[in-house]
Amino acid sequence: MGKKELKVAFLLALRSLQRGSRSSVLLTILIIGMCFTNMIFLPGLFNGIGQSITKQVVDYEIGNVLVSPKTGDQYVNDLEATLDLINGMPGVERATPHFSKGATLKYRQRVLGVSVRAIKPNDEKLVSPLYTKMIAGSYLGDADTGEVIIGKPVAGDASVKAEDEFQSSLGGVRVGDSITIEYGNGYTKDYRVKGIYYTGWSQADSAVYVSYTDMALVDPKAVDNADYITVTTKPGYSEKFVKDELQQYGVSQKVQTTADLLAKSMGRALQSFAIINMVSLIVGIIITTVVLFIVITIKTINSRRQIGILKAIGVDQEVIMHNYGFQVIIMAVLGILFGLVLTLLMAAYLAVHPIVTPEWSATLYLTPWDLILNSLILFAASLVAGYVPAYQVSREDIQSAMRA
Amino acid sequence: MIAITDLQKIYRMGTVEVRALDGVTMEIPKGEFLGIMGASGSGKTTLLHMLGLLDLPTSGRIVIDGTDIAGLTDYEKTMFRLYKLGYVFQDYALVPDLTVLENVSLPAMLRKDRTEEQIQKDSFGILQKIGLYDRRDHLPRELSGGQQQRVSIARAMVNKPDILFADEPCANLDSENSRMVLDLFKEINEDFDQTIVMVSHEDWHKDYFHRIVRLKDGKVVSDGINHQNDHR
Repeated sequence: MGKKELKVAFLLALRSLQRGSRSSVLLTILIIGMCFTNMIFLPGLFNGIGQSITKQVVDYEIGNVLVSPKTGDQYVNDLEATLDLINGMPGVERATPHFSKGATLKYRQRVLGVSVRAIKPNDEKLVSPLYTKMIAGSYLGDADTGEVIIGKPVAGDASVKAEDEFQSSLGGVRVGDSITIEYGNGYTKDYRVKGIYYTGWSQADSAVYVSYTDMALVDPKAVDNADYITVTTKPGYSEKFVKDELQQYGVSQKVQTTADLLAKSMGRALQSFAIINMVSLIVGIIITTVVLFIVITIKTINSRRQIGILKAIGVDQEVIMHNYGFQVIIMAVLGILFGLVLTLLMAAYLAVHPIVTPEWSATLYLTPWDLILNSLILFAASLVAGYVPAYQVSREDIQSAMRA
Repeated sequence: MIAITDLQKIYRMGTVEVRALDGVTMEIPKGEFLGIMGASGSGKTTLLHMLGLLDLPTSGRIVIDGTDIAGLTDYEKTMFRLYKLGYVFQDYALVPDLTVLENVSLPAMLRKDRTEEQIQKDSFGILQKIGLYDRRDHLPRELSGGQQQRVSIARAMVNKPDILFADEPCANLDSENSRMVLDLFKEINEDFDQTIVMVSHEDWHKDYFHRIVRLKDGKVVSDGINHQNDHR
């Protein structure tokens, strides 16, 4: 097959698409584009959900590396020394402790069970973006006592009756209001609401935060203990590197990376996503292959006489086969480009208007590799779907083709 | 020169055998304008298909310019058609999505011995000869039947084949257009010493032929020189 033959095959393909049934060509391109979108949208959305959850877990729960009590211990002990050790490690941006206590909040007639989280507010700023999520009032300071910041769902809305609430709240607490916290150990204290935040991560939004200084007054164990320590890594350092460093240089607690923890907690969910993605991919490929197979089969059957004539005037069967092959290639490329544009438009729309649920907010998470891989898969499927009927019909003898 | 020896073509439809060609033997010398005539079903189109390498004989031998076509592979037959033969069909058989110029150039574009310039020169030349140069960018559906048949002839002629086969090329044309096409064949035959084998059932066409072979039931029933036209 030389250049001349390919040139003729391409000319025949191009003219057939330009001057043949435009509606059929446009419909085929549309179908390929939709199949591409279908192949990439659902996996992209699942990846987006996964990324969103991972980011929120990192931001508000565990950081890049989590240091938790070793087996048999209730707390991370010798807190200050441990923090100094961790903060001195290469690759560690900041380590900050968390100490939580179950408590009951009271505001007017409302009573609500919550987790009160003690943090070191200034260190927390280097680990979590919580301080950027204040929607009213201000963030905590290290020395604050008797002050609390609460999540928006905890604060509630005064215009919504208790029985109409989706999630129980304090019924419309505002900054400056006083609320009572009854801790599990019986300690009761009034707090001024210093700020209200909203992160979009339900577990953080359903909690209230006080300073470590304040918690030390409530429970003396908080003075030199923590439930866990969250660690942020410096840019350019992997979580694994920091984990290995911590374990190697004397941190005797349990050290786990985000990946370790997510593999345990979200492993099943990720597996399910992967299965759904695979089903979506296979269905997309089958639909595209079948549609293109039908389109090209109809095209070739309708052109049997013309194929016979082309052969009669000296056009080789390979030229005829590549003619239909090129038609499929052109339609597949245009369809994939259309699908890419459609997908990127949806990604842009979802970036501005993410899908928001009480648990997570998700955008379309697509990597260039996803786009390239799906394009190649669809392209390959299109080639098979186009060339099989083209090969079959191009082999037919001239007399049979011309009698069609 | 075409040499045909004891050519037979038998179609089998279930248990029924139809003998479309029954022992045809003849020679067609170079430069002859041969008319194959006969009633419908006499086997004339079948014979033309055999000679044009569009179908295989059941038995017998066809030798074209020293090449026994029975020994050619499918690809060699395709190349033989491309380089040595031209074919004009009853229903013009143009590619509807190609312009007049593209239809005419198509066989030339596949030849390895033609440059772009030669293809353009030959295509333009033949289009001027058939009087359709000005309509070169039109699609076949924008032309009349006679014009389409002239394009079909131009396509068959663009590679300057040794032999031109025409299968009832005037069947769908009125008498004026038929005469125009036949005049074109005559001109090509005289100008280029082109061998032309044409199938026809119109009696008045015989005036154009050098020689007329009449078929009946797949057999040659008469084979005679038309002295009125044969001045070779």
